[in-house]
Amino acid sequence: MTEELPSKSKLPVRRYEDRLVGCPPGSDPAAMTKEEKEAHLNTVERLAELVEKAGKGDKNPLPEIRKILKESPELAWQLMDYAKYTEYHYTKMMVKEEGSGLKEVLSCQLAAMREEIAGDNPSPLERLLTERIVITWLQIQLFEGLYASNMSKGTTTIAQGGNYEQKRIDQAYRRHLSAIKTLAQIRKLGPAVQINIAQRQVNTAS
Amino acid sequence: MSPWEKRERGRLYYTRSRKVNGRVVREYVGGGALGELAALIDAQERQRREEEAAAWREEQECLEELAGLIDEFCEAVETVARATLLAAGFRQHNRGEWRRRRDRGTTI
Repeated sequence: MTEELPSKSKLPVRRYEDRLVGCPPGSDPAAMTKEEKEAHLNTVERLAELVEKAGKGDKNPLPEIRKILKESPELAWQLMDYAKYTEYHYTKMMVKEEGSGLKEVLSCQLAAMREEIAGDNPSPLERLLTERIVITWLQIQLFEGLYASNMSKGTTTIAQGGNYEQKRIDQAYRRHLSAIKTLAQIRKLGPAVQINIAQRQVNTAS
Repeated sequence: MSPWEKRERGRLYYTRSRKVNGRVVREYVGGGALGELAALIDAQERQRREEEAAAWREEQECLEELAGLIDEFCEAVETVARATLLAAGFRQHNRGEWRRRRDRGTTI
């Protein structure tokens, strides 16, 4: 893991959608068995436990964290797939009329956002964080749209559910800001952060 | 309590009950065709409100489910991001800024 890597500015620029997110050859999430899906969840859960311990200053979990990141190259890819799945459901909820072209417009807007946020040659981690920013933005749009629509129809009043809807919007904003903050932190730390979560090790910044 | 009240002469009167300053006030609408019409209007209004409430509940359940999807995804991404930073030899200072560990080994 000490190998010298080219800086990002020296890498040829590729279109966002053309770049693989560490997709191991031959693996297809749609074809994943129940056991494989469970194993994936267990990996994330185990990683969360270790991260919590390490976050409290315990250094013992660090070797296992590195081992999991190294041995689970499909992790980032599967999470990306999960993001696509979530996006599909949000878009379906937001645009109910089929054939209006609105879904395509929204999809293009999201793609443009991804491209702009991720920048050139994003690392797998940057891509994941970009997905998180985009998906939380989508959530804000949905919640705000519903709130405005219900208010104008008069089906929501502060007493009935407006307060609840407002809280939900606030939560979505907090998630969105947290996503932006994490990406900014990763970029601020610069090339020192070596990512090894998607079968290739790259610097997060040039 | 039925909105139809039987009077002494045996006629049925349609009534509406509502709360005014915490007390139930009964309003006498009328009997015969007028009572029937008021009952029909009230029944339709009640049905509309029930349908609206059911649709609202259904929408809330759907939104909760969607919010759950995002929560799960965000948590997993945060875990991977934190794991990557920890593996790279960083530590979080007071739940805020990430700083490089001073005692970091040579291997990342």
